[in-house]
Amino acid sequence: MKPLVLMIEDDPQIRRFLRATLAAEDYQFHEALTAEEGIAQAAARQPDLVLLDLGLPDRDGLEVIRGIRQWSQMPIVVLSARGQEKDKIAALDLGADDYVAKPFAVGELLARIRAALRRAAPVAADGADTVIRFGDVHADFEKRIITVGREEVHLTPNEYRLLQVLIKHAGRVVTHRQLLNEVWGPQHTEQSQYLRVYVAQLRRKLERDPARPRHLQTEPGVGYRLTLDS
Amino acid sequence: MASPAELPPIHQTAAELPEEEGSQWRPAVGWREFGVAVAIVGFVTLIALALRPYLAATNLAMVYLLGVVAVATRCSRRASVMASFLSVAAFDFFCVPPYYTFQVAESEYLITFVAMLVVALVISAQTSRIRAQAVHAVDRESRTKALYRLSRRLSTTTRVFDAALAAAEVASEVFGAPVTIFLPEDGRISFRKRTSDQLLISTAEEKIAQGVFDHGRKAGKGMKSFPEAAATYVPLKGATRIVGVMAILPGQGGETLHEDQQHLLDLFTNQTAVAIERTQSQNAAADARMQMETEEMRSSLLSAVSHDLRTPLASITGAASTLRSQGEKLAPEVRGELLESISEEALRLSRLVGNLLDMTRLESGMELRRDLYPLEEIVGAALQRMEPQLAGREVTASVPEDLPLVNVDDVLLGQVLVNLLENAAKYSLPGSAIEIAATATPAAVQLDVRDRGRGFAEGEEKRLFEKFYRGKSEGVRGAGLGLAICRAILTAHRGSIEALHREGGGAIFRIRLPLDGRP
Repeated sequence: MKPLVLMIEDDPQIRRFLRATLAAEDYQFHEALTAEEGIAQAAARQPDLVLLDLGLPDRDGLEVIRGIRQWSQMPIVVLSARGQEKDKIAALDLGADDYVAKPFAVGELLARIRAALRRAAPVAADGADTVIRFGDVHADFEKRIITVGREEVHLTPNEYRLLQVLIKHAGRVVTHRQLLNEVWGPQHTEQSQYLRVYVAQLRRKLERDPARPRHLQTEPGVGYRLTLDS
Repeated sequence: MASPAELPPIHQTAAELPEEEGSQWRPAVGWREFGVAVAIVGFVTLIALALRPYLAATNLAMVYLLGVVAVATRCSRRASVMASFLSVAAFDFFCVPPYYTFQVAESEYLITFVAMLVVALVISAQTSRIRAQAVHAVDRESRTKALYRLSRRLSTTTRVFDAALAAAEVASEVFGAPVTIFLPEDGRISFRKRTSDQLLISTAEEKIAQGVFDHGRKAGKGMKSFPEAAATYVPLKGATRIVGVMAILPGQGGETLHEDQQHLLDLFTNQTAVAIERTQSQNAAADARMQMETEEMRSSLLSAVSHDLRTPLASITGAASTLRSQGEKLAPEVRGELLESISEEALRLSRLVGNLLDMTRLESGMELRRDLYPLEEIVGAALQRMEPQLAGREVTASVPEDLPLVNVDDVLLGQVLVNLLENAAKYSLPGSAIEIAATATPAAVQLDVRDRGRGFAEGEEKRLFEKFYRGKSEGVRGAGLGLAICRAILTAHRGSIEALHREGGGAIFRIRLPLDGRP
């Protein structure tokens, strides 16, 4: 069954190229031109994923996220302009899965869509998810052993939690607030400088060149993204 | 005798005059003075009685004259005139036989009385005149000082509100009373634009203040109109218009300003009004100048940008139309090249627009969202963003592990690095190496971006950072905004950026970020 994508976008040129891309990648799709219509279509068609432009003519795109999240956890990928980190964070904190900054390359968009769909897919029952590999890193969460190359590395409890959370959201951006909330708890969501220090330590332990991370990537002004394949 | 502290400060010279001298409300002439005069005459009488057995009566008159001198130096003229008459009477009563009556045995004493009275009155008159002059001199001195203080404060202000604030402060000190200046907004006194909350006036008094502003005449306490008001309102009259209203709440005792202080107040308001007017016209001139500069900038921006926008648009349009009309006939590799140029030029256009937006935002005073960041993370994010353009190059980044965190806006500092890396890639041969290196000093973190490109010409070091300035190298296109943006961002961070020649060829761009004394 081909996944169904609902694109909520008012610009005809962008719709045209999204249509071509999605068709080429074997997705089914529907189009909505306004926020109003988008929310209605999301309810009526139950798509597998929503591609949402934040700048819609009738209402703020953030309201679409709020509307959909009231009754559904379907993946939402936001299209936003560069330099509007505030909007991105707001969208992610409202429950959007990821964003792509305009102008974007098709490859990037498809990667985001795939990661978001993966999140929504039902978890395999055999527990294959307890072992994760990326680059030289081999993480076995059942035995709680992390190795880089052949050497085992020792993570502090916080670093371990942080890695777990990032792997849980692998391929998708996680905001500072979400990470702080999941690792340290809801009362620490404003202390992002501690988070940055822990991420830096984690990079030193896992990345070959921490100043040029291949996996533990920074999304400036927004959060972090762990990419498994690179 | 009264203690010296309560007496007017006639012995003080101007030099030892305390700063707040002018702020004293002058004590009213009271009955106390007359008491002092009577006491001195009484004291002199006791001395005269003690000396009476040994001295001739006429010599005792001299003792009384000394008493009059003592009174005249301390008390008002009225008190010393009274002391003169009292001395003559006491002299008659106690020192001229027959004692303890006002009768006089020998008529020659009448001459003594007249001479004594005349001398006493002359002493009184002269002494109080000298004293009045001394007091006046002291007053003038303190007034001059106050005015000097005011003008010094006013001369350093560049904003209308600051000028009003300075004037209100100095006036409050000088008059020893809360002073507030109200400034107008759209032709009416705005009670929000006040220099202090010391003096909150009622709605009824707001009307008086507005009236003072409208008609340019003083009103309120101690004035002809609205004397029942709590405060005195004085217009600040400039050369061409009234620029505000000064309100003074006199002391708790309910005294009003006496004449000298009124005069000083006039000088004060005058000077303040002139200063405010001057500030207003200076600001207007500065605005006009900025307007002109903005216009100039806009036109140079237009000419630079229109070229840089049109060039990529032309190649995109050309390539796209070629593909559409002749797509079938073109060799696959030619089609690929055309597609490549469409996407490259579009990206260039996107970067240019991004730069223009950044510049505009920075120039309109963008708010920094600063926090503590490991520099490594910002470098990493910039390299990630630049990956496509840096492909095929050896890029090394050395950021020491123990480098202190920097207090920056990560998005903006990342933009600086992206711009520097873009330049490095643009101005050096494909495949040549680019180095990023960070070091820390006690006061700052320093970050170098080094390339092996053509570098820049001698003498261009400063100009490189000017808007729309392009290095003197051919074949490289750009709007000349990248480095200007870097400089604007670093200036906003109170840091710096400079361009250096690299030994062995190439350029070094060096960023410095102050550490603000944090660990």
